Amino acid sequence: MATPRNDMKEMAIARANVYGLLADVFREEPSESFLLKLAEPEFSGILNALDFSLDDMFSNISHSQLTEGLALEFTRLFIGPGSHISPHESMHTQARFGEPNSLWGASTVEVKKFMEAAGLKVDDSFSGMPDHITAELEFMQQLLLEEAKAWTKEDNGIGINIQNIEKRFYDEHLSQWIVNFCDKVIAAGPHPFYKQFSEVTKAFIEFEKETLQDLLDEVSEDGRLSA
Amino acid sequence: MSKLNRRNFMSLAGASGAALAAGVGTSKKALAGNVTFENGGRDFSPVTGKERKAIPTACWQCVTRDSMMGYVEDGRLKKLEGHPGSIRTLGKLCAKGQAGVNQVYFPDRILHPLQRVGKRGEHKWKKISWDAALDLVASKLKPLRDAGTPELFMYQYGRHKASQAATMYDFMGAYGTKTIGNHTSVCEAAKWVGQESLWGGMYDNWDYDKTDYVVNFGSNQFETHTNHIPTSQRLIRAMVDRGVPLYTFDVRLSNTAAKSTEWVPINPGNDGLVMLAMINVIMNEGLFREDHFKYMRVSADHHATTDQKIAAIKAEVAEFTPAFAESRSGVPAAKIAEIARGFAKAKSACLVTYRGTVMHFHGADQERAAMLLAAITNNLDTPGGRVMGVGAGWSAPSTPAAKIHKGLHIKDGFKGEAAFPTHHVSHQVGPVIKDGHAGRPKVYWWSCYNPAFINGDNKEWSSILQDESIMPFLITSTITYDESSQYADLILPDVTYLERWDWEDMVSANQIAEFYIRQPLIKPLGEARCQGDVWPDLAKRIGFELAWTDKKDFVRQSCEMTSGVKEAGGFDYMMKEGVWHDPNDKGNYGFYAKEVDVSGDGVILDAKTGVYWNWKKAGVASEADAMSAGYLGTKGAKSSYVAQHIEGKALSAYAPNTSFTKSGLLDFYSDNFKGKGLPAFPTFTPTPEHEAMADDELIMTTYKVAVHSHSRTTHCKWLAEIKHDNPGWINSKTAADRGIKDGDAIKVHNGLGEITTTAYVTEGIVPGVIAISHHFGRQHSGIYGSGKSNPIDGGASPDPDAKNMNWKKHGVHPNAIIPNSSDPISGTQRWMDTVVRVEKA
Repeated sequence: MATPRNDMKEMAIARANVYGLLADVFREEPSESFLLKLAEPEFSGILNALDFSLDDMFSNISHSQLTEGLALEFTRLFIGPGSHISPHESMHTQARFGEPNSLWGASTVEVKKFMEAAGLKVDDSFSGMPDHITAELEFMQQLLLEEAKAWTKEDNGIGINIQNIEKRFYDEHLSQWIVNFCDKVIAAGPHPFYKQFSEVTKAFIEFEKETLQDLLDEVSEDGRLSA
Repeated sequence: MSKLNRRNFMSLAGASGAALAAGVGTSKKALAGNVTFENGGRDFSPVTGKERKAIPTACWQCVTRDSMMGYVEDGRLKKLEGHPGSIRTLGKLCAKGQAGVNQVYFPDRILHPLQRVGKRGEHKWKKISWDAALDLVASKLKPLRDAGTPELFMYQYGRHKASQAATMYDFMGAYGTKTIGNHTSVCEAAKWVGQESLWGGMYDNWDYDKTDYVVNFGSNQFETHTNHIPTSQRLIRAMVDRGVPLYTFDVRLSNTAAKSTEWVPINPGNDGLVMLAMINVIMNEGLFREDHFKYMRVSADHHATTDQKIAAIKAEVAEFTPAFAESRSGVPAAKIAEIARGFAKAKSACLVTYRGTVMHFHGADQERAAMLLAAITNNLDTPGGRVMGVGAGWSAPSTPAAKIHKGLHIKDGFKGEAAFPTHHVSHQVGPVIKDGHAGRPKVYWWSCYNPAFINGDNKEWSSILQDESIMPFLITSTITYDESSQYADLILPDVTYLERWDWEDMVSANQIAEFYIRQPLIKPLGEARCQGDVWPDLAKRIGFELAWTDKKDFVRQSCEMTSGVKEAGGFDYMMKEGVWHDPNDKGNYGFYAKEVDVSGDGVILDAKTGVYWNWKKAGVASEADAMSAGYLGTKGAKSSYVAQHIEGKALSAYAPNTSFTKSGLLDFYSDNFKGKGLPAFPTFTPTPEHEAMADDELIMTTYKVAVHSHSRTTHCKWLAEIKHDNPGWINSKTAADRGIKDGDAIKVHNGLGEITTTAYVTEGIVPGVIAISHHFGRQHSGIYGSGKSNPIDGGASPDPDAKNMNWKKHGVHPNAIIPNSSDPISGTQRWMDTVVRVEKA
């Protein structure tokens, strides 16, 4: 039965899925099995409906060659040596902290604190810093899954509270750099895989701006969702 | 791509959910833990919640390796300062040291293992895992070891000291290769060889806390000294508090010369000659002190009387009058005599030398002249004088060496190139490998080293690294992409020194050894790994075990087995305090005068040399054989040295602790030198290239500036902002002769090539010379050092702060026109002897 809480839960899980997928895309070079999944009609059909096509990517090349090519492209785009697009917030937004850009910059610290305040920390096996795009997207995914749990438990207070935290993290961090980051990746003339996923990421981050506000507005307007 | 709305968003979410549920992406996670708002999690006040930790550690920006404090806030290194409890540094840290923060966070840093996928120098790389990287390394090294040819693996290092070197040597010993190269010949090898031929050891210190007079030849003491912070502040204090005069002989008006009591301009390659002239004055005017003569040997006779020694020294230096020295050095004879008298009459005096003196033809002999000047005035190893330095003596875990343990003979230059390459001829390793007659390594691995930048004729080095037929497989451990790593087959991301463990042992300035450690201030960025952690892992993959599990374990074990440190509290104490010294230590003075018990089994007195030595320890068949062959006639006898017979006593004297076989006397008359056709007594030997110079040619010298090391700091933006260009210093008269004005573009060229820089026309350099510092002109190493962050044309810097880079010049590298040319005594690279022509560009 469609209830406001079920709607909220469904939306939270849906958003968590997208955050999770995008976190994986930027985590490291894609595995061959991941690429095979993308090539399946079931998956590509959904993407095609969004004018998001990876079909060309798979033509005239074996999956193993594609995997190898994307590994090199991942290195070129995000690792270096030399000119690359660092997937870390502090390399893109330090000006607002009055500091020059550097790895482990002031925004890294802010993100780290934010995550720790939520009970999370960067896993020892993860080679990025706390403000790596993957860590930030995964953080949102974790918040959303927790939000979904709250709606399941009919704990409106926690659910609304987490929504506010998501909004704050989005406003203070995701919105500050990821669109710009994606534009830089697109401008670097990347392989279609990274071009398309950067466009999706950019569109999703822009979509989230309205979504987060809409959800909070819905909460405040619907008395059944009051804490 | 359509704009997302709620409806098509749900399609995307469905696809994403399906992909995630299928587990087709990676199963790895960036975050650990659970969202725990209900339980509060951790909380931080936006205003006061900062917790700043102070962690004792040690610098690595240069070889001085100051102990220091790192201040860490929220996992981020914020600041580096001197360690207030250090007796070496007295709480000071130089600009380079403070800019160490840049080493960690510079945006062009290498953070992941990279495997080459294009041609060498094509700059195409693939990120691979550490497992894959080490499996690849093991696949190259294990077959060499299994085949009984471990020597075909060569490792060469730049800055490796203390436990960084000890862990590496432990691995290499257990693996079985002795093909281990260093970098000392481009640093100051001639200085050490000169000293080792005399007092048996190396590394002098200058007792500024107690001195009354300082004469400095060719050392930029206040800017870049090898033991900079510990010694410079003490010299400044001596000058300011006690009015100690400092006379600096230098080709160039360095900041040290500018802060001296007097800058004495001198032509390149004549430091030793001026010292001999000072000795001439002191001897002939009777200003010498006989106190140390009993420890000196100045003629073939080991038993000469003091009067005989005085006569011999006078005879040896007779031709080196101040007038003669003036004719070559440009230093007025009266000034030489004045400073000689001041030096000799001072209650105590320090004689300082460094690269300006020794990086020349016969540089090692010039160092011997410096030692003689100190000795005849009783300023050698006496309070206030030139003293043998002391550093911490750590005990450390050790792995047994492999049964097959050997090396290629490619470290000491070409045959006959150097008589005593006791610190090797590192700049010639590449050319010797190219030559091939002494064999070629199949795997060449370098670390904290940039051979294609720091050696002479560096373009030749580049071509050698690029040639797969000469260098089949190249590995580098580095934090930055540079002139050498661009040719590697495998780049391993090293940690910075601020992310690793070490024990440290650099020489103290006050003759009291300080034990100190380096500990990581932060978790290594990215996938950077300390080599000390890599060695045990690699050993297992090859098939052997080390006596320690990682670098931290190595340091921990060392702390628990080192006398003094152990009793103070061992590893826990050192982690907390960072430094330790023996509070009862009075300083290392007069070690040579200690009486030695010579009653031990097998100890005999060698009549010729006056050496007590242990024939049993030397492995001689019988005492009769030992007596017959004598100390100098017995191979390896120097390791059984016990004492020197001096004035009826057995004294420790100056034991032959290095490769020179000698008595316990200071060998100013050296059989070793004579045996190789070199001057037995310190003398003046003109530089052949200088003797053959045409009228329009100049001598090019190099130097260091205060804020850079040779090749490891130009990517530090705080330092690059201060110094990023290296114009050629040229005297106004020399410039005028060539129609050159200040700021003009000039060409500097010789048979090796040509470089273009700008002229800095000044009275602060002697005529006939051009001086160019050697840090700049980087091909790579990041946006701040080279002006480009991308090895391939095009592309933007990953660091938006680069837009604030207010300098456009990045200098020129003089090594391109400096040949690899060795001092025939020591094998040291002759940085200061290059002959060039200079003209307006």
